[in-house]
Amino acid sequence: MAVIKYVARRLVLMVGIIFVISVGAFYLIHLLPGDPATVILGGGDTPQARAALYKQLGLNRGIVIQYFVWLNHVLHGNLGTSFITNESVVSTIKNAFPIDVEMIILSQILAFAFAIPLAMRSAQKPNGRLDKTASAGSFTLLSIPPFIIIVFLVLIVAVKLKIPNTGPASYVSIGQDWVVNLESMVLPAVTLAIGSFVLYYRILRSDLISTLQEEFITLARSKGISRRRIMWRHAFRPSSVALVGTAGVNIGGLIAGGFVVQFLLQIPGLGFTLIDAINLSDYLLVQGIVLVISVSVVLINFLFDFLITIIDPRIARD
Amino acid sequence: MSDNAPLLSVKNLATTFETARGEVPAVGGVTFDLLADETIGIVGESGSGKTVLARSIMGLQPRTNVRVEGSVQLDGTEIVGASEAELRKIWAVDVAMIFQDPMTSLNPLIRIGKQIDETLRLRLGLNKSDAKKRAIELLDLVGIPSANERYMAYPAQLSGGMRQRVVIAIALACSPKLLLADEPTTGLDVTIQAQILNLLDQLKSDLHMSMVLVTHDLGVVATRTDRIIVMYAGRIVETGTTKEVFAQHRMPYTEALLASTPKVSDASHTRLNAIPGRPPDLLKLAKGCSFAPRCQYATERCHNERPELESSGSPSHLFACWNPLPLPTNRTASSAGSEA
Amino acid sequence: MTNLANDFGVAEPELLDRPEKRGRLGILFWVCVAWLGINIFGAIFANVLPLPNPLANNYSAINFGPSLHHLLGTDELGRDIFSRIVYGSRISVSVGFGAMLIGFGVGAPLGMLAAYRRGLFDQIVTTLMYVFLAFPAIIAVIAVLSFWTPRSLLKIILVIGIASIPLVYRVIRAATLSMGSRDFVIAAKVQGATDRRIIFRELLPNIAPVGISFLLIGIATVVTLEGALAFLGLSINPPQPSWGNMINESRTLLSQNIWIAIFPALALCLFLLSLNYIGDRLRSYFDVSEVKL
Ligand SMILES: Nc1ncnc2c1ncn2[C@@H]1O[C@H](COP(=O)(O)OP(=O)(O)OP(=O)(O)O)[C@@H](O)[C@H]1O
Ligand SMILES: [Mg+2]
Repeated sequence: MAVIKYVARRLVLMVGIIFVISVGAFYLIHLLPGDPATVILGGGDTPQARAALYKQLGLNRGIVIQYFVWLNHVLHGNLGTSFITNESVVSTIKNAFPIDVEMIILSQILAFAFAIPLAMRSAQKPNGRLDKTASAGSFTLLSIPPFIIIVFLVLIVAVKLKIPNTGPASYVSIGQDWVVNLESMVLPAVTLAIGSFVLYYRILRSDLISTLQEEFITLARSKGISRRRIMWRHAFRPSSVALVGTAGVNIGGLIAGGFVVQFLLQIPGLGFTLIDAINLSDYLLVQGIVLVISVSVVLINFLFDFLITIIDPRIARD
Repeated sequence: MSDNAPLLSVKNLATTFETARGEVPAVGGVTFDLLADETIGIVGESGSGKTVLARSIMGLQPRTNVRVEGSVQLDGTEIVGASEAELRKIWAVDVAMIFQDPMTSLNPLIRIGKQIDETLRLRLGLNKSDAKKRAIELLDLVGIPSANERYMAYPAQLSGGMRQRVVIAIALACSPKLLLADEPTTGLDVTIQAQILNLLDQLKSDLHMSMVLVTHDLGVVATRTDRIIVMYAGRIVETGTTKEVFAQHRMPYTEALLASTPKVSDASHTRLNAIPGRPPDLLKLAKGCSFAPRCQYATERCHNERPELESSGSPSHLFACWNPLPLPTNRTASSAGSEA
Repeated sequence: MTNLANDFGVAEPELLDRPEKRGRLGILFWVCVAWLGINIFGAIFANVLPLPNPLANNYSAINFGPSLHHLLGTDELGRDIFSRIVYGSRISVSVGFGAMLIGFGVGAPLGMLAAYRRGLFDQIVTTLMYVFLAFPAIIAVIAVLSFWTPRSLLKIILVIGIASIPLVYRVIRAATLSMGSRDFVIAAKVQGATDRRIIFRELLPNIAPVGISFLLIGIATVVTLEGALAFLGLSINPPQPSWGNMINESRTLLSQNIWIAIFPALALCLFLLSLNYIGDRLRSYFDVSEVKL
């Protein structure tokens, strides 16, 4: 019961947040200096285009009405048509988004695969040699921004070692050639994985260390079961709450923050498309991407909140 | 009592925690034996080292920053200095512990049935369905109503008393030879306290267990123990048969403890306020008798020299005191002894 | 083991509230403080220091390696890299500190007040802040900066600063809440101290450690963000040097002259490392449990 109520409350909150986001995204257009239509249309300022834009955005009406006109279009899956590329914003986003998803999934697999076992080992002997090395290493990595990592990874892997399909602009869609696709995903996935790894390792380690002080762990030990079982069965789950919470925020951050990596490697995901659109002053596309990314981040956070209540139902009760 | 070799033999057991503030000698050299089928009570104020003693007997200490010295022989096996791998073999099967705090001792994210199952399956090798059946039997045995449904419950869905019973069921799962019951009735109301203690008594005789019953409530141990150890600041200050301790105690601390045995109406774990002063800071133990600062009979000597445990008359009755109370000829046992 | 503190409390409860003798901060901590100081000094006094003009091209000294004349070498236009790094630190330092000044200036008093007053005020502000928190800050920053032209340093600071307010609010509010129930605050209330006195005399000094360590880590985050924006061309425009700019411009030239990438990257990483390290040390020094950032 408590869980259902909790989820319902979250759901209401989420709808509220999405509403705020939609207002924000809508209002972006009006931040543009001067008449939005002129700026949006740019070079393609023909009478027909202008009429279409006015219809699309309801520009000649009051701002509140404009919002609802715009919202109505959005809810019908219409984010407008770019006046720069003449492509519908929705279809551009549909092409780009799966690339982000693939990149993030790969990076998260890597990050978890390294962070979890390492944190489990570190926490068993806090301040032991392994723990000290891993903690110092992760701390150093924490201070290296992804854009520096990617610059040097490209230099080493693609330029010096000349490993094929790893450099900038080697992206090929998964349908075209999945091997090349995976190869081109190595560097971005590794780069994003490093940041996530550091985060996950540190959170899980410190949470495990405090979980291992708990009385229920001592009781589990008194059962004479193996250390491995104590770690995985008794300590990991309570500690994974913090991990999953962090992962939720972090993955949201990757959707929003993956653009540097995509930009530098010319991987045509959402982030890359966004930067491209900004440089081309393709404001409708920018607006659409901002909306989609923001809403996905909110959805992801909601999903992970939900996941946490499954791992630890007590959370819903407080 | 039998003249067999003791089941448990503790010699000069000392446990010291190395903390940021300095060394904490939580247990400072404890010696006693326990025979098969015997029950020994350990009493003392909060912080006197009862829990640490019980854990040291089992070898169940944190893995770091703790030093255990002396010797603990359990059925011929040395515990002090044994590796955790060796200890794992005897834990649960030969020696098990009922944990003091039922609110924190159960894993909040595992169904209680599974927590009992675990020992049965991994230590006794029962298969899944047998383990479940046995776990439900155990839940039933410790007096949990509708054990079948409770098997699936999470700890948070149970009251403190019910959780205490689950903790007991876990300890009993493998019918250990020695049960270390660390205040098994804290947090329970009086009727349930009696029920649980009766249950332990009965199980003890059914399963031929020996038991170390830790409590800070003398009333609890009066009728259920063969012998009593009184602890203060990590040391034994008086020990003897239950009757001796109740009727012929010589140590002023024991007297104070008896006089202050909490009334049944008090919330459990109330501090024993009747004894003036507070327990000593283990970091700054005086060189004399630790109880001296609070003792109305204390003399110069008490502050400067530590009294050792000595007997006077009965070989089973030892106490550490320079100015023991006179042997009562017509002194009666404190009223506390008659309840519980 | 969990009731360790209680057990200690039995022996001498008043010890608990008094901060115990702490370990030292360690030499590395002071090295980091010094490094941070040097960076800030350089940023403030860049135009007073005897540095070559960071914008002056010198075609007779292109892509030089480090030498006595050019400490860290020259870039593809013959500009002095050392000088550019020192001037570049101005951007990082001013964006980092400026944005956090805004974030803390608004977020911290609000957070303290909300936690201290509780009630409706707290509920409204907290709900509002959580709504903003759910909004991905990076995207908001990028979106606003790309629409709000022409860009300037002030706008960048303003946008990042405002975006950081909810984060600061959350941390400070949580810290205040945990303090509010401590004995010394309750004691002060019982003694009839005024709100103002409690806030400034009791709460503020005790929240300060959390605040400062979060401030430092926040600055590191903002500096990283500015670097990323520079890559996207959303920060200060070249030829004006910033660390992000310099690394970005060096990308295409890496295989010819690796120094033009390494030095600014090193400057940035060391700057971030000292911020993070100082923040982390302070946090464990004051024994603040890991606050999620
Ligand atoms: N892990 C530890 N580190 C440092 N000191 C400890 C640790 N565990 C226990 N102590 C100290 O040892 C002393 C004895 O504690 P113990 O828990 O054995 O008392 P107790 O007699 O069981 O009290 P209670 O009746 O409250 O359960 C206390 O002063 C406590 O502070
Ligand atoms: Mg205890």
